[in-house]
Amino acid sequence: MIRIASLLLILIGLYGIFSTRNIIKILIGINIMELGVNIFIITVGFVKDGLAPILSPDSLSSALNYVDPLAQALVLTSIVIGLGITALGLVFARKIHAKYGTYDLNKAGGGEDA
Amino acid sequence: MSIAVFLAILIILAAASFFVTAANKKAGGFATVAVSLFALAMVLSMKGSVGGEQSFMYLGFSITTVGWYFSVVMLTAYSMTSFFNPFWMKKMIYPAGYNFLYLVSMAGTIGMFFAGDFITLFIFWETVVWSSAFIIQQGKSRKASYVYYVLSAVGSMATLFAIMLAYSVSGTFVIRDAFTGLAGSPGTALVVFLAFILSGLSKMGIFPFHVWLPEAHGSAPHTFSPVLSGGLVKMGAFIAFLSVTAFPAYEIFGDMLKIMGIPAPIYFLMLLGALSIIIGTLMAIKQEDAKRLLAYSSVANGGYILIGILMLDQVGFAGGMMHLMNHALASAAAFLAIAAVAYRTGTTKMSEMGGMIHRMPVTYLVYLISIISMAGIPPMGGFVSKWLVFQGLADKGLLFIAAAAFFGSIGSFMYVFRPLSAVFLGQLFTRDKDVREVGFFMMFPMVVLTLLTLAAGVFPNIILRVVTEIQKSAGIEPVTLARNTIVTTNGFLDAFRVFIVFGFGFAIAFVLFIVRRKSRKVGLMDTYTSAEFIHTPELLHYSHSFYAPFERLYDKAPDTMNMYKKISAGIAELGGLVEAVFYGGKPAKTIFWIMAAGMVFFLAGGVFR
Amino acid sequence: MLNPVLTIAIPLGLSFLSVILKKKRGWVLLAAACANVVMLFFLEKGEVVIGGFRAPFGINLILDAYALAGMAVAGTLFLAAVLVSRDKAERFSTVLLAALAGINGMLLTGDLFNLFVFMEITAISAYLLSSAGKKPEHSFNYLVLGSVGSVFYLLGLILLYSMTGTLNMAEMSRLAGSMEPAALAVPVFLIFTGIAVEAKLIPAGGWVRGVLGNSDSLTGALFASVYSGAALFVFGRIFADVLLSEGAVQIVLILLGLLTFAFGEAAAFRQTSIRRILLYSSIGQSGLAAMLFATGLIFPAVLVIISNSVSKFVMFTTAGKITEIHGTDDYRELGGLFRGNRLIGTAFTISALSLTGIPLLFGFYAKLNVLAAYFNGRNYFLPAVILILAMVEGAYFIRLLIRLWTPGKEGEEPDAGAATKGTGLFKPVGAAVVFILSMAILAAGLLPDHAGEFISSDGGLPGGDAPSINLSLTKGGQ
Repeated sequence: MIRIASLLLILIGLYGIFSTRNIIKILIGINIMELGVNIFIITVGFVKDGLAPILSPDSLSSALNYVDPLAQALVLTSIVIGLGITALGLVFARKIHAKYGTYDLNKAGGGEDA
Repeated sequence: MSIAVFLAILIILAAASFFVTAANKKAGGFATVAVSLFALAMVLSMKGSVGGEQSFMYLGFSITTVGWYFSVVMLTAYSMTSFFNPFWMKKMIYPAGYNFLYLVSMAGTIGMFFAGDFITLFIFWETVVWSSAFIIQQGKSRKASYVYYVLSAVGSMATLFAIMLAYSVSGTFVIRDAFTGLAGSPGTALVVFLAFILSGLSKMGIFPFHVWLPEAHGSAPHTFSPVLSGGLVKMGAFIAFLSVTAFPAYEIFGDMLKIMGIPAPIYFLMLLGALSIIIGTLMAIKQEDAKRLLAYSSVANGGYILIGILMLDQVGFAGGMMHLMNHALASAAAFLAIAAVAYRTGTTKMSEMGGMIHRMPVTYLVYLISIISMAGIPPMGGFVSKWLVFQGLADKGLLFIAAAAFFGSIGSFMYVFRPLSAVFLGQLFTRDKDVREVGFFMMFPMVVLTLLTLAAGVFPNIILRVVTEIQKSAGIEPVTLARNTIVTTNGFLDAFRVFIVFGFGFAIAFVLFIVRRKSRKVGLMDTYTSAEFIHTPELLHYSHSFYAPFERLYDKAPDTMNMYKKISAGIAELGGLVEAVFYGGKPAKTIFWIMAAGMVFFLAGGVFR
Repeated sequence: MLNPVLTIAIPLGLSFLSVILKKKRGWVLLAAACANVVMLFFLEKGEVVIGGFRAPFGINLILDAYALAGMAVAGTLFLAAVLVSRDKAERFSTVLLAALAGINGMLLTGDLFNLFVFMEITAISAYLLSSAGKKPEHSFNYLVLGSVGSVFYLLGLILLYSMTGTLNMAEMSRLAGSMEPAALAVPVFLIFTGIAVEAKLIPAGGWVRGVLGNSDSLTGALFASVYSGAALFVFGRIFADVLLSEGAVQIVLILLGLLTFAFGEAAAFRQTSIRRILLYSSIGQSGLAAMLFATGLIFPAVLVIISNSVSKFVMFTTAGKITEIHGTDDYRELGGLFRGNRLIGTAFTISALSLTGIPLLFGFYAKLNVLAAYFNGRNYFLPAVILILAMVEGAYFIRLLIRLWTPGKEGEEPDAGAATKGTGLFKPVGAAVVFILSMAILAAGLLPDHAGEFISSDGGLPGGDAPSINLSLTKGGQ
């Protein structure tokens, strides 16, 4: 269920990028996509009734019941990268606004000519 | 000296000529003369060492009679033309580059003719293509160089495909082995044959590749057109030669459908040759520019050479092989004569010249004899070789092709007469009245080539003896030669006797001309115009619209160039579509295509598993 | 012998250092680029385990001949780019150093997630570099596509992880081999998209025209040769070594490469701007390399990448400089430009001719290998297409070269007076670098077998792929 929801999020983000010409909204779309993927990654590592993957004296007995720590590590990294990209995208957005005075890609000289 | 060392020396000398030219243009021009004469002497001296195999690194060479023969033809064109180089240096935009590339392309042709394997052949072939492409652009037209390069590339790529295909089947690049290895699979062999010969066709200017000749020959530097027409075009003949001899075409296609006793693929190529004769002749008749005219005549003559070589028999083959020498001599001489006129008058437009016989009589004679040879009129070399080709065609009963060949022969009277009368005969333009004959240094190569043309017509057996050796090495029966006679099944030709007859006739005509001189010289403007002022004297020139009534018969004929233009426009259009569809400033377009690709992958994974 | 991890750690460390050493950052960059090239000669081949866990449990780096070839190309051209455009590179010191670390990491890593991280480092630096083109909207487009690509890559990666339980490439290769090929279609697509953005392949290369069309002498060279070379090496690592697809999926991959190749060449054919000609030609060559990788022909693909990277480096730096000095890169307005810059003109010409596959230049050896590999596999259709496209390529390059060399109107003798004025496109160092690279193309073309052996040394290419053709064995008289 959550898995489908996360895939839906990705598609929603993709649709956002596809349908809008507004730079900020495109960035939001990217963020939604990333969110979706992150959730998806978590679901892959999810184990029902699993424990936090921390080695401690009281969890030794149920060694097979950990949630996958790798997926969580991936998500952490992915979140950080997503943050960087969003920041950089906003910088570009600012630059475009400074240059063309608009956040609309159609008006921002981003037409067909290079 | 091994071929590799010889070529290395030539390349080094080419580089040296580059630096000499950079220091002193004229000296650089003379350097090309010295180097090309040296190369000619070296190759001539190699006659004895025929039959050797050599290799150097990954290059393989094989010294064959046919390679030797082609090299001699080529180097004659190169070395004779090089005499003009010193005097044209000041017109070149890159004189040093010109001289360097001139010698590099020369070395390339030698390497190609002596190649023992296909890789070597291809390497040198391409070397000649790019070096000559960079020379041609120093002439009148940039487009000419482009057209030349692209059509050469069409041939080169096809040949590379053939080479690699043959390699994948027979596992070797050695010329003979690679082709004989195909004997087991006629289907592959057919593809290899047609693809391989394509570069030869494009180089020789066989229809539909003929469009580059008028462009390139007509616009190349005047000192390079003789080499192009006299020399480089013959590289195509070499490829054609390999296609029927090294590639045992008649044996491999022996079981295929035969037309008039010739295997269909070969007959098809002969038809292309016949078409080239017709088109070359008709187009030559139309031309205003003397060099373009000669270029179209090269198309026609390429047709004769191709047909002759493809016959691979006793007589016609000998004719084709001999004709390439004759055409090289005559066409180089004719282009040089036009270059000499252009040197003095600065134009190659026929309607802008006239009466040059009074000013440049030697050049006139050179031109006269060359075109007589090209038209196949006795007693010049061209007559003997065309006669042999006709004999071969008649022997085999190849009606249509023979008709085309005869048509071309008659048509050539029309087109050779035009520059003759327009440039040399007729009235002298007033602005040309101070024109002088060219100096000895430029006259020398023209005279040598002319004498050679004459010699080939009077003593054809000198050349034919080499041709018989080639025929023996190709495993066909050599043409029968008596002392000074060529014997065929339909008759015999004693060229010397023909020469005597023609010489006698000429002498009588000359005496009559001297004794009963009735003509009166009039100026071009010496005419009655009803007080009308003449703005353009060219219109009064009698070569203006020379063959207008005849040309009108076919002036609606489609131009092959349009086909290439359409292909080119088509590619550009596709490019435009690609740009519009895939590239732009906005992400949406790309996202759409990514999703489309995703669907394709999904289908590929699910439906068509 | 040095640990390969140094090639990642040193540039990354210096990248942070360069933030502090504001004044000397140009030197830091130069030193790192030099050190990177020098290190290549002393790297220890084999597998390096990071963090003490053996693969497939831990993270590892793998230095085989393939990775080394990629690092050599990317590293050398990176150094060359820095040398040619010192002034411009200095401004981007930090970014460039991070990019160098990222590229080395991409090529070395043996782990799919690590690859993702390194690709992101490289990509972010590329977004930043692209902003030098003063067209933020194109940088933004690039960034959006790059992000979408990376999201897709991550999704594909996690799908693979859930299917196989590992992210280690060697382990993945083993497990994926035993899986139903159809099941791999979706992850292959997702990962393909992620890499295709950087490798400029259709459908994901939509950003290329905007970014490369406005590139300068530094960014053009980096994007067209360093970044795209590295991305293609990664493409090869994944699709010819780890995720070997077969059946319909493989056909789709090959077709996408073929389409990229054909469309790129066709689009290049109609351009008049030098940079656009070059960028579409780059797209085309990327397509060719991808097509080769998808067919499993690693060695020819590596040759194509090397040949294209070096040639495009020379040409893009020259085109960038031309634009900076003459204000345009429309070749119709630059007739006879090389008359005043003959050395650079020669280098440019050699590079262009090499790309079109003229013999005795490296590109010919690459082309010959490509053809031989396909013919050996009894594939006759693709070589025919490749040769036809090579013809198109030859056509537009010769047109460009003719124009740049020879000034003057059509139908008249060349006119030296009409030549575009101006000499000295490059400073001496830049000219030397460009010229030496073109001479390297010539040298490697003259001694192709040595070059081929050098590239495939130790037979360490994945799958033991070796030269498809050995010219020395094909000479006459044997």
